[in-house]
Amino acid sequence: MAEQELEMITDTFYRIVDMCYKKCIPPKYIDGELNKGESVCIDRCVAKYFEVNMKIGEALQKKGQQTGVGGSVTGFGA
Amino acid sequence: MAFPNKEPVTKEVAYMQMVQDSCIFKVVLSGVAGFALGGLVGMFFSSFEMGTADPSIYEQPMKQQLKATAKDMFQRSFSTAKNFAIVGAIFTGTECVIEGYRAKNDVYNGTAAGCITGAILAAKAGPQAALMGCAGFAAFSTAIDLYLRRE
Repeated sequence: MAEQELEMITDTFYRIVDMCYKKCIPPKYIDGELNKGESVCIDRCVAKYFEVNMKIGEALQKKGQQTGVGGSVTGFGA
Repeated sequence: MAFPNKEPVTKEVAYMQMVQDSCIFKVVLSGVAGFALGGLVGMFFSSFEMGTADPSIYEQPMKQQLKATAKDMFQRSFSTAKNFAIVGAIFTGTECVIEGYRAKNDVYNGTAAGCITGAILAAKAGPQAALMGCAGFAAFSTAIDLYLRRE
């Protein structure tokens, strides 16, 4: 059970890193350090990811309760 | 969870990084640098215009002449330094705020900041002068940014 959770968390982590890297960092590199625009973008990207995760988890749970189908939803969010 | 080969960043280093990235630090730094640069430029340009003193100064002893010259030079360079500091601070402040808002780092931040700075500086002379100031300063800032970002 703990193994599954560790795998889930690692998977989430790498998904976030990949997605936010693609979204926030333009392909032309001037400097090795993150500048202000990129830092702000990454902060917002991670925050949005978790919020979207949470909302979808809640929506799924509500859907599951409504239709009465399926057990508990082990989502990433919470 | 971190990339395996990277050494962990200490809290102090991370805090220093955050401070250096903050807008206020950048504005202060730019103001100080502008003041220093303006002082040098003003001192250089003040040597061209000594004719504004009244001609009776040339009859006074050498020490008086030197004192008057020095006073004029420092006054001029101080006013230039102040102007440069204000321009630098406004430009850096607006550019930093715009970049923080857009969450992007490209050349258009400088263009927008240049337009606002030019408009503020020329605001006293009316709306048309503000427009010209905006266009001029924006073009200048864009040119410098493109040059600095060239491959």
